[in-house]
Amino acid sequence: MARLAFEPWGNYSLALAASVECLGVEPWTSSSTTPEVLRLGVEATPDSACLSFKACTGHFVKAAQEGVEYGAMVNSTGTCRLRYYHLLQRQILRERGLRLFVFNVGYDGLKPPIVRHFDPDLPHFLQCCLRARLKVLTVDAIEGAAWRTRARELEPGATTRVMKQCLQELGQARTTRQIRAVRRRVGERFGTVSLAAGRSPLRVGLLGEAAVLRNRFLNHNLEEILGSLGVVPRNFFLLGEEIKNIFGVGLWSRHSRFTLKRLARPYLRSPVGGHAVESVGNAVACAREGYDGLIHVCPTGCMPEISVRPIIRKIGRDLDIPVLECSFDEHTSHVGVITRVEAFVDVMEQRRLRSGHHGKNGSSA
Amino acid sequence: MNFFRQHHFQSPEPIGIPRCLWYFLHPGLWEAFFCELGLPVVQSGATWRETIACAGLISEAEHCLPVKIHDAHLHQLAEAGVARVFVPRVLSTMPRHIACPKLGALPDCAIAQFGHRLSVVSVELDEARVGLRYSLLELAGTLGVRGSQARAAAEAGLAALAAQRRRWREQTGAMGEGSGRRILLLGHPYNLYDPYVSDPVTGKLRACGADFSLVDYTRSRVVPEPLKWDACSLMYNALRELQPSACAGVIQLSSFNCGCDSMAMEFYRDRLKRKGIPYMRLVLDEYEGRAGLDTRLEAFVDSIGW
Repeated sequence: MARLAFEPWGNYSLALAASVECLGVEPWTSSSTTPEVLRLGVEATPDSACLSFKACTGHFVKAAQEGVEYGAMVNSTGTCRLRYYHLLQRQILRERGLRLFVFNVGYDGLKPPIVRHFDPDLPHFLQCCLRARLKVLTVDAIEGAAWRTRARELEPGATTRVMKQCLQELGQARTTRQIRAVRRRVGERFGTVSLAAGRSPLRVGLLGEAAVLRNRFLNHNLEEILGSLGVVPRNFFLLGEEIKNIFGVGLWSRHSRFTLKRLARPYLRSPVGGHAVESVGNAVACAREGYDGLIHVCPTGCMPEISVRPIIRKIGRDLDIPVLECSFDEHTSHVGVITRVEAFVDVMEQRRLRSGHHGKNGSSA
Repeated sequence: MNFFRQHHFQSPEPIGIPRCLWYFLHPGLWEAFFCELGLPVVQSGATWRETIACAGLISEAEHCLPVKIHDAHLHQLAEAGVARVFVPRVLSTMPRHIACPKLGALPDCAIAQFGHRLSVVSVELDEARVGLRYSLLELAGTLGVRGSQARAAAEAGLAALAAQRRRWREQTGAMGEGSGRRILLLGHPYNLYDPYVSDPVTGKLRACGADFSLVDYTRSRVVPEPLKWDACSLMYNALRELQPSACAGVIQLSSFNCGCDSMAMEFYRDRLKRKGIPYMRLVLDEYEGRAGLDTRLEAFVDSIGW
């Protein structure tokens, strides 16, 4: 069976693997990048390219070295560099004499080239896509439970263990009924983790560029660092919502691009590109929802996210919410990230204590 | 409504124009346009060492050099006591193309950073959708000027733009003109035409005795393939038409953290490799290490002479 490589998308990779299987090919991926893959990517790509491009290209180079025939890369019609990823990747692989064909996925009509090439049976394909969507939603449920639990767990690592079990079960689930069963059991599973009693933990919103937000290796496992410091993170790249946005479904939901654009409008009147409007909109929404802080995450030099950084800083000042700006590249030190996050958590703790002292409403989880 | 009445600003408040970044996309246009509208124009001084030093202090650390310089120019205008500045939202400067995404957020960033000191006048420039003339009329409308005076201002602005572009072309010369093979200098207009940024390179090339031309920005009809960013597409098309018999080598003048160039350079390199034309990319940043620049330019000019 032919194999198809795609970029790691964190825990969503297993849901995406399900949708690749429905094309009749074997998926080749992992949940996060490895140091070796990143090294391959850094060697193959221009030094000023963004980290997501380096990681993704490294993944394809590794796949090609292992004899994988195809790759799939998200295509965009936007203004950011993502638009040229697949073209450059084809060029890089060709120059290195590697035989892996990169398909561009998205915005190519009703039947994109990748579906045309593998030509799966349509009813079966649609059924599989629906199953993949259900898996995406289940991943969201698992992650939500893990974020809430990890911040208050008594035994360090217990939440991560339960999460791994749940994800493993989800990966093995083949039918809709099995996936639903995994989803139903999520609450019960996380209920077994013993929690510390006490006040509600701090809440932090993670905004920014999608690939770095979702790839644990690239963001140095921010979610777990925050969880271990007793903070509930909320990652604002949600694949289920992204799919809805692409198809224009659920205009009035909290995470729809329409709502976020409306929230961002007093600060940003241009779509900019990438997820910049979503970042600005989410920053405003988080401030209103009483989050204790925001972490703006992006690859170093990310065109859309860096352009809106002064705006997010201004939102922080206007709506009184602290913002930590984290840019990641291949030289970012893990210890440096931990130190910055620890200092940021201290700031939020102090702010909460001070606001309690002044009798203001402290944020609650 | 009286369509024939001339609009006179009661006590015209001067409008500040930062002379950097988007200014070089439409050179000469804005001062002619605002003067014709009857608004006094205050331009920021040319980029200088202090500007770069100020940019490093006040701007977002990860911005590219031109955007940092833009922030420094706005700061300079605010320090000079100007109460309002003009910052357009450039979404596209050529039909079927898009501009760099950073230019789309500039007015919003200007408000976020300088909103407490400056009011920002803005207009959307999207030449892929509407012509420049229409955008100028819209801008005149937001300033309260309509009818023939607005049209006259737009005409004056466009004439000044055409004249300035012609002057640029005459100054720099086109490829294939004159005798011998020339070096082609690639780069965004705000790098090539800002004397402070490009002079070290052009000055060194002159000192080495190398004949060079700058990439021609007077063209506006190019195919948006494979690059959709306007300036990059224009440069790529210039390379596509380049004859190895007329061109000795290509030097790309890029600024640190330029997202467009980081991708586009691979396309340029591939194209030039197939044509057998030597190519070098020079990255400029605010740290001004000129010795390295000189050495690389000398080595490049020496190597193409062999």
